[in-house]
Amino acid sequence: MSLRKVANVVGLLEVFIAISMLATGLVALGYGDGDASAFFLAAAITFLTGWATYLATRFDDDVTAREGFAIVTMAWVATASFGALPYLLSGVLDSPVAAVFEAMSGFTTTGATVFSDIESLPHGILLWRSMTHWIGGMGIIVLVIAVLPYLGVGGMQLFRAEVPGPTPERLRPRITQTAKLLWLVYFGLTAVLALLYGLGGMGVFDAINHSFSTLATGGFSTRNSSMAEMSPFIQWVTILFMYLAGVNYALHFRAATGRLVYLRDEEWRFFTTVLVVSAIVVTALNLIAGSSSGPQSAVRDGLFQVLAITTTTGYVSADYEQWVPGARMVLFALFFVGGMAGSTSGGVKALRVMVLLKAVGNELRRHLHPRAVLVSRVNDKPLKAEVAARIVGFVILYLLLCLAGALALALTGIDPLTAIGGSIASVGNVGPAFAGLGPTDNYGWMSSQGLFVLTFLMLVGRLEIYTVLLLFHPELWKSRRAFH
Amino acid sequence: MRVIVVGAGEVGFHLAQRLSEEHQDVVVIDSDPEQVEHAAQQLDVQTIMGNGASISVLKQASVKTASMLMAVTSRDEVNLVACLAAKRLGVSYTVARISNPDYYEPDSVLSREQMGIDLVVNPERECARETFLLLKNAAFTQVAEFADGRVQLVGLKVLEGAPVAGRTIRDLREEFEGGYHYVTAAIVRDGKTTIPKPDSTIEAGDLIYLLAPTSEMGAVPPLAGYDRFELKRVMIAGGSPEGQYIAELLEEHGVDCTILDRDRRRCVELAEQLPRSLVLHADATDLELLEMEGVSGVDGFVASTGNDETNLLSSLLAKEAGARKVLSLVHKFEYLKLVPAVGVDTSVSPRISAVNAILRRVRRGRVMTVASLSRIGAEAIEFVVGPSAPIAGKALRDVAFPKEGVIGTILRGEEIILPRGADVLLPGDDVIVFAMPEAISEIEALFD
Repeated sequence: MSLRKVANVVGLLEVFIAISMLATGLVALGYGDGDASAFFLAAAITFLTGWATYLATRFDDDVTAREGFAIVTMAWVATASFGALPYLLSGVLDSPVAAVFEAMSGFTTTGATVFSDIESLPHGILLWRSMTHWIGGMGIIVLVIAVLPYLGVGGMQLFRAEVPGPTPERLRPRITQTAKLLWLVYFGLTAVLALLYGLGGMGVFDAINHSFSTLATGGFSTRNSSMAEMSPFIQWVTILFMYLAGVNYALHFRAATGRLVYLRDEEWRFFTTVLVVSAIVVTALNLIAGSSSGPQSAVRDGLFQVLAITTTTGYVSADYEQWVPGARMVLFALFFVGGMAGSTSGGVKALRVMVLLKAVGNELRRHLHPRAVLVSRVNDKPLKAEVAARIVGFVILYLLLCLAGALALALTGIDPLTAIGGSIASVGNVGPAFAGLGPTDNYGWMSSQGLFVLTFLMLVGRLEIYTVLLLFHPELWKSRRAFH
Repeated sequence: MRVIVVGAGEVGFHLAQRLSEEHQDVVVIDSDPEQVEHAAQQLDVQTIMGNGASISVLKQASVKTASMLMAVTSRDEVNLVACLAAKRLGVSYTVARISNPDYYEPDSVLSREQMGIDLVVNPERECARETFLLLKNAAFTQVAEFADGRVQLVGLKVLEGAPVAGRTIRDLREEFEGGYHYVTAAIVRDGKTTIPKPDSTIEAGDLIYLLAPTSEMGAVPPLAGYDRFELKRVMIAGGSPEGQYIAELLEEHGVDCTILDRDRRRCVELAEQLPRSLVLHADATDLELLEMEGVSGVDGFVASTGNDETNLLSSLLAKEAGARKVLSLVHKFEYLKLVPAVGVDTSVSPRISAVNAILRRVRRGRVMTVASLSRIGAEAIEFVVGPSAPIAGKALRDVAFPKEGVIGTILRGEEIILPRGADVLLPGDDVIVFAMPEAISEIEALFD
């Protein structure tokens, strides 16, 4: 384990973050809200720190798997820390903890915010919030791998540690090419969505911000009411693109090259079935209970909220806390599902849920046939027993983390239901939760301790637990060498 | 006709034996001195020790004058290279035994067009297919296919009170006009095989052999007193390659299948490759487990481990427990006769099955197919009527056909004819003949 290498790669990453700050600063200058200088200053600090670290710690050999975990975790910590600078320097936030929370919520595409009056924020800050979503959605490291092939073999270690899902697919033999293609699809979809928002009557600024946020499955909006006051057309377009953002990008890439393989993918079928069934149940329950705004909007709101939560986007089109208990419980269950592996969404991931259900089915079957040798299959391919066990282990760890997070929050004095909701919404990178953190609330009232816990949960959830938790495992540090 | 057989193992030895009995000139090549010695002592064949894939060894076997090479060692790659070498040295027909299913894919380079190997045979798969046919037609103790499966020869026992019991062949033909589309090829009573004449009677307890178009076979079991039978659940004891292929065939036909093996790693492999079967990690002779998994209610049970003793024991246990149709794979030739004696319904010999599969598809002069019914000592042979054959152009009732043989079926293009006395054979017809070994050379002369 060489801290030198960790510092080197992280330093280089920050240069990219500085560039994105600079770009945001230029836009801010154009709007003239007075926050541009904060961005230029933040960019300068970030660039100088990053570049100096990079130059001071150059190395020749490859990145090992252990270093990979450390690099990815530290990269996200550093990025969120530097990403907090614009909030502090522009004076929209005073508390460093709140600023880091807002930045981490952005990069991890959680979409939880401490701001109560979003519409009063300067344009630069609004764009920076969406920008953090967009960069974090496909992954900071994936971006760097796509641009700079210098990580070599080690790149795969980093890629694996950052991309959501058990085993990232390679679209091309080289990891750099794969990362490039993923970003290409991501960029293309974002551009199409921005155009559609424009067609739907959104202004240029709002269209860009919301397309960043939607494709990243983030949830930051430029409006206090999130998506609730948008036109039905905008909401339908958002429903479609939240769905697309929750699908494995490898499938989109294949579709773009003329091979429509969605139906052949078992995880896709599972994910889509869960969404459709949940939306039907939620809508039906709301209609039976007597929706105030008519069937058309009940269908739209049902679909919208089911997608917003399952894909972990966290947009709000209706206050789901006013829904009947059954519908709310369906949404609660969906907090855990998440999108497909290889998408920009958070949560457990549909693939893991599917494998878990199969494992449960196998266990039941084993009671009938004690000597049975049972193998789970995904896409008709047998799943190795170790892989299946690892996935089951992950789901258990995920639930434990949610529980531990809720406990930590409750210890800061938050009521249990709010604590549970906040913990699950943060680990799953969803954003809005229940009770005190419901769709019409924000995280601004929380104590620094509470925000710190949530920041940690968002990070651990985004990097799929193991990458971060490994850093706390003593064995990772056993072969540690002096920092030279 | 000169035939080179590469490999003197189980399949090679038996193949050489059958070819030699058909009066072909056989050269056997094997690199194992013991196998070569065994073949040299037991068979009327020439033997050569060496690698059958080597050009110099093939030249030593006078490959230039050979018209056929059959490479049947247990190693796919040796068989492939031997066939390719033989093709280059001018052998017109080559047969390769290939077990690895990866080489079997539809667009495999092994196809006749690309590599020039005329016939690729997978012995395990052939054995599985035969077993499957026997399972599916529970009443049959033996099934052999002719003419790409269009005609079948089946053996079955006539039950007490069956519609055909106590009748003569002539009666049956007249009474079931339009309904008895079968040629009764042989009747086995008290262990003695006879080729029936029109006035022979079929009695309850007889084992009869019938030849008919495959499409007509479904009506046979009720005539012999069997209930309608549908194969729904099968248990396979032993995850040998044959066992796995049987399970695959059953899965394809929607039959509920349980397969067990005592090796855990093999079980995992089976579970990975058989998505719809239940795989159990258990011993084939573990009666308690077999009963717990419902062996008493299965329609079919196959013992398919690599060990004959285990197979026979396992099938006996299954029969005792109440499995409806019990089949055992039997590798050792000597054990085959034991099968009816110990009470197992029927057996399949992987070795004979493989040899039959090859001989069935390879034309050797006038002879096309042979099915050897070793248990009753008779053979079914498919002949092609030669242009100047003595039998051609005459009504069958005027031909002096040996009484140890019978003409089963005539294949004329797409047409399947069940012969009557007035029928006339034409040159080019395929004729399936059922005969005792002593009559074969006399019959062959009629067709040449």
